[in-house]
Amino acid sequence: MTTSTTGGPPAADLDERRAGTSTSRFVAGKVGGALASLVFVVVLGFLLFRMIPGDPVATMTRDRPTSPEQLARLRERLGVDEPLWRQFLDYALGLLRGDLGTSYLYNRPVATMIGERLWPTILLVGTATVLAVALGMWLGVRAAWKRDSTFDRVHTGVALTLWSVPQFWLGLLLLIATQGLFPSRGMRSPDLPEGFLAETLDVAWHLTLPCLTLLAVIYAQYMLVMRSSLLEEMGSEYLTTARAKGLRDDLVRRRHAVPNALLPAVTLVFLQFGMVVSGTVTVEAVFSWPGLGLLTYDALRGPDLPLLQGVFVVLAGSVIVMNLLAELLYRVLDPRVRAA
Amino acid sequence: MSQLLELRNLGVTYSTGGEAVQAVRGVNLALAPGETLGIAGESGSGKSTVALSVLRLLPRSANVTGEILLDGEDVTTMRWGRLRAVRWSSASVVFQGAMHALNPVRRVGEQIAEPIRLHTDLPEPKVRARVTELLEQVDLPSEKARSYPHELSGGQKQRVMIAMALACEPRLILADEPTTALDVIVQAQVLALLGELVAERGIGLVLITHDLSVLAATCRRIAVMYRGEVVEEGPGDEVMARPRHEHTRALAAAFPTVGDPASRFAPATANPLPPEPDRATPDEETPGLLAARDLRVTFRDRRGEAVHAVAGVDLDVRRDEIVALVGQSGSGKTTLARTLLGLQRPTAGSVLYDGRLVPTSSAGLKEYRRQVQLVLQDPASALNPRHTVYEAVAEGPRIHGLTGDERSLVLEALAAAELRPAETYLSRLPHELSGGQRQRVVIAGALALRPSVLVADEPVASLDASVRGEILGLLLRLRRELGLAALVITHDLGLAWNIADRVAVMYRGELVEVGPVEQVLLEPRHEYTKSLLAALPTGTARASERGV
Repeated sequence: MTTSTTGGPPAADLDERRAGTSTSRFVAGKVGGALASLVFVVVLGFLLFRMIPGDPVATMTRDRPTSPEQLARLRERLGVDEPLWRQFLDYALGLLRGDLGTSYLYNRPVATMIGERLWPTILLVGTATVLAVALGMWLGVRAAWKRDSTFDRVHTGVALTLWSVPQFWLGLLLLIATQGLFPSRGMRSPDLPEGFLAETLDVAWHLTLPCLTLLAVIYAQYMLVMRSSLLEEMGSEYLTTARAKGLRDDLVRRRHAVPNALLPAVTLVFLQFGMVVSGTVTVEAVFSWPGLGLLTYDALRGPDLPLLQGVFVVLAGSVIVMNLLAELLYRVLDPRVRAA
Repeated sequence: MSQLLELRNLGVTYSTGGEAVQAVRGVNLALAPGETLGIAGESGSGKSTVALSVLRLLPRSANVTGEILLDGEDVTTMRWGRLRAVRWSSASVVFQGAMHALNPVRRVGEQIAEPIRLHTDLPEPKVRARVTELLEQVDLPSEKARSYPHELSGGQKQRVMIAMALACEPRLILADEPTTALDVIVQAQVLALLGELVAERGIGLVLITHDLSVLAATCRRIAVMYRGEVVEEGPGDEVMARPRHEHTRALAAAFPTVGDPASRFAPATANPLPPEPDRATPDEETPGLLAARDLRVTFRDRRGEAVHAVAGVDLDVRRDEIVALVGQSGSGKTTLARTLLGLQRPTAGSVLYDGRLVPTSSAGLKEYRRQVQLVLQDPASALNPRHTVYEAVAEGPRIHGLTGDERSLVLEALAAAELRPAETYLSRLPHELSGGQRQRVVIAGALALRPSVLVADEPVASLDASVRGEILGLLLRLRRELGLAALVITHDLGLAWNIADRVAVMYRGELVEVGPVEQVLLEPRHEYTKSLLAALPTGTARASERGV
C-alpha cells in the first residue's frame, strides 16, 4: 500500500502535498527496531539477575548436608563458576536454539515450564483485557458525550479509585466479600468431572475472582483515555460539518467522533497488554493462578537464575511484540500516520 | 420575488456560567435566489453565529430569538426531523475547509457521498457517479475522491468542501471564511468558482469573511457587522465607495489597495506616526546589516529526493529599512527566515551579520540572536500560557545575562511595544490579553534585548483587521524612531505596500524580483509577481481614495 499523490502535473498545483514513506521501508524499520530492543533485553536480563544477592547453589542445598566436593561439582554442572562472558555466550547460543536453560530449583527445561504457564496467563490477561477494553471504552464514550453529568463524575471517580488500589489488596477483599462463593486458589478443581463443558465451566469458575480483580484495576485507563480523546474530538469543526449535513446526533457520534477518538485508545490497548501480563504477578500470587506471574514469584525466591531470565525475556519480548503490533496497526488505521 | 433567506430581528444570546452574552442583536437581512450577500466583521462580531444559526448549529448554550425564514419556513420552530431534512438539502455550509472542517481519517469521496446517501435514495453506483461529477465541477480530478484530507493542499480541501456543499443541490450556500488561510492565487480561484456556481445555478450565497476586499470582489450586497449588530448594509459598490460607519472605514483601510498613494507608509493606526527621519538614500551597493549570499537549503524527503527549499538567495536587510519577503506558502520564505536566524543550517552559501559570517558555535549563535530577534505569526501559541507578561519579556534578558535592572528593562520594552501604562500588564497572563496585545508582548520580548533586526513571520496574519493596522504601525514607528531594521515575511502584498521600503518576491526557493516597493508592485517585471498582483481582490481603492 504505497501512498502517492495522484493526478495533476506538479505545476498545476503549487502547494501539492508530498507523500509519505513506503510501507515496506516503514515495516522494515520498525521490525529492525524491535529486534534491537530484544537483543538489549536479553543482555540486560542476563546481567540484571546476576546482580541479585544470594547464592543459588547454597539455596538448592539448604536442607541437606553437602560436602564441599559436592558443592563444587554442582557449581561446575550449573556453570556458575565460569567467567561471565562464557556464561553469557552459552546462554545466548542456547537462546538461538530455543533453549532457555534448565531450572535450578525444578531441574526441568525452562522453556517447557514457561510453555505450560503461558496459557493460563494469556487466558487470565486476555479475558480481563477484553472485558476492560469493552467496559472502559463504553463508559469513556458515555462520560465524554455527557461531560460533567452525574454519570461522568461518578464513573470517573470510581474508575480512578479502583485504579489506585493495590491489586493484591483488592483480590483479598473480593475473596472475603464473596465468602467462599468462588474458589480461592488454582485453576482447576482436583475432583474434576469428565467432559469438555464441565472442564470449561470449572475453569471459568476459578477464573472469576482473579479476572474481576484485574479488570477492576485496569479498566480505568481505557475509560480515561477514551474519554479525553473523545472530548478532544468533540471540539472539532468536522463534527459541526457532520451535523450540518443533517446526521442524527448519535450518527455523528458513531460515524465521526468515536472512530477518530478510538485511534489513540487502540494503541493503548496494545501497549498495555504487555504491561498487564507483567502486572499479573500479584494477582496470580494471591489466587495461586498457575501462570507466568506465579512462576516469576517462585523463581525469585530461589533465585532460580535460568528461570528468571527466561520469564524476563518472554515478558519483555511480549511487550516489544505488542508495541510493534500497535505501531503497525496504527499505520493501517490512521491514514495520517502513513504520510508522516 | 420571494426571499430565499430572511432573518427577522435575529438575536442570539450565549449563557455560560450564569452570565449571558449577547452575540447577535436585532439582525435583519434578506437574500433572494441567485444573489450574493456578504457579511463582514471581525472575530467576535457575531458573523459566524449568524451563519450557524441558519441551520441551528449553535451550541446548546445559545438562545435564539427572532425569525429565520428559509424559503418562507421558520427554522427556529422546526421539529428535529424536519430540520435534519432541511440541513444540507436546502442550505449547506462551506466551512473553512482548509483547516479542520473535514474528517481527517475518512476519504474525501466518502465525506462528499455522506449527505447524498443521507438525503436521497440513489443506488450506490449513482452516488459514486455523482461524487465524480461534483469533483469535476470544482475542477478536481475524480481520483482525488480516494484521498484523505491531509494529502490535499489547502486550496484542494476548500474545493472538496465546496463540492460537498453542492452535493444535495441546495438553494442556499453559507460560506464562512472560505478563503481564509489560502494564498492570494488560490483564494482568487476559489472565489471565482463560488461566483460561477451562483451565476449558473441561481444559488443564493452568503459569504462571510473578515476581509472586506474579498466581499467587494464577489458580493452584490454587503452587510457589516460590529459587536453583534449590522452597522451598515447596502449594495457592495456603495458600501465600498461611501462607507458611512466608522467601523466599515476601519475594515476597508486595514486591507489597503496596492498602488494607492494614500496608504503608502500609512497603516491604519490610531496613534500618529512620527515623521520620516532623514535617511541616506538606500544604495543598492550598501551591504546589508543582515545579508544572505547565494544561500541554499536542501532537504531530503522521505524518498531521498532533494527538495530545494532555498535555491541560491542573495538578500540584504539594511539598517533603517523594512524589507517584505512575499510569496505563496511552500515558496521557501519561512525556511529562508529560519536560516537567517541560524535555526537551520544552510546547505551552501553564507549568512552575514554586519559584514561578518554568522558563527555556527552555540555561544556565537547566542550572541548573534541577541541582535536578530524573531516575531512569530500566532501570538497565542508563541507565548507560554502560564507565564506572566513580565516573565515572557524578562526571559530573553535573563538568558543573555543582560546587566541592569530587570524590571526597568521589561517596562521599557513594554512601553516601546506601546503597551501603556506598562505596569498594569506585568502580572497578566496571555489569556487575559487580546490578540493584538499578545502580539505586542511578543514584540516587547524581542525588543527587550535591544536587537538591531527583527524577523517577523506573518506578524499580523492571525490578527483582526483593526488590530492589524496598529501592529504594522508599531513596526513602522520602531523603524522610524529606533532605526530598527525588519524582515517581514508575508503573503500579503498590501502589508508590503503599507510599511515596507523594499520587497523581495520568492517563488520556488528563488528570489525572482527584489527592489523598492513602488517599482516591484507597480511595475512588476517577473511573471510570478504579475500573477500575484492580478489575483488580488480589488475594490477597496475608492474607499481609501477618500483619504481614510
